[in-house]
Amino acid sequence: MDIIILFLLLFIGLAMWRGAPRWLVLTCWFGALLLMIGLFRFHVTSSLGLSL
Amino acid sequence: MKTMLPRLVFWGLNLWIFAYTLVLGLALLLQFTLGELPCPLCMLQRYGMILSTLAALWLVRQAQTGTLTAPRYLQGLGLGTLGSFVGAVFASRQIMLHILPGDEGYGSAVLGLHLYSWAFVTFCVVILFTALLGIIAPVALPEAPAQDSPAARISSALGLAFLAVVATNAVMIVFLEGFAWVLPDDPTGYALFGQ
Repeated sequence: MDIIILFLLLFIGLAMWRGAPRWLVLTCWFGALLLMIGLFRFHVTSSLGLSL
Repeated sequence: MKTMLPRLVFWGLNLWIFAYTLVLGLALLLQFTLGELPCPLCMLQRYGMILSTLAALWLVRQAQTGTLTAPRYLQGLGLGTLGSFVGAVFASRQIMLHILPGDEGYGSAVLGLHLYSWAFVTFCVVILFTALLGIIAPVALPEAPAQDSPAARISSALGLAFLAVVATNAVMIVFLEGFAWVLPDDPTGYALFGQ
């Protein structure tokens, strides 16, 4: 999943640099955001033990 | 002053790109020289920095090509704010994991703070910065220097340096994650070499 996210971020950067259509950039940007939130939810499975 | 503002805002956006390129580059340097492998939350914070900086890169690029309008500028600032907010959530989770007394934290500290604490600070700074740019947007739409001028070349070099750091992270994560679907909670080596 990390590999997909990072290569997607790289693709977005290159697409921005080369002046790709706005819909493509925005779709990929929000796609990357959703993948990141999904990965965060996958890793964060326990509640915080903040009481001593 | 009013006529200088568009140029200042343009270079402010470049400073945003430069700062996160430096932070991401230093994180890679610490990783390669001290062997401090990033945990999943550390990587998520790097993604937050990249996602946020992509907004600045897009704004700079549009200013350079003369396609930046006021609505597009505000849209870019919104993307930058959202990227930074998500990154701040990731960083705050890691801060909370190590906030209890006696916990030594994850990785080494830099200037008294661990990298995830610094990451949280940078995300807050970017959120404040984009808020400020939004407030002055009616009088300060970014204005790029003339094409082929030395200043334009510096700005382009900053953008390319940022893309190079993202590409380096992309290659590094292939070695770190190997054929696994996600990173282990506490990586001890580059999985691609161990599989």
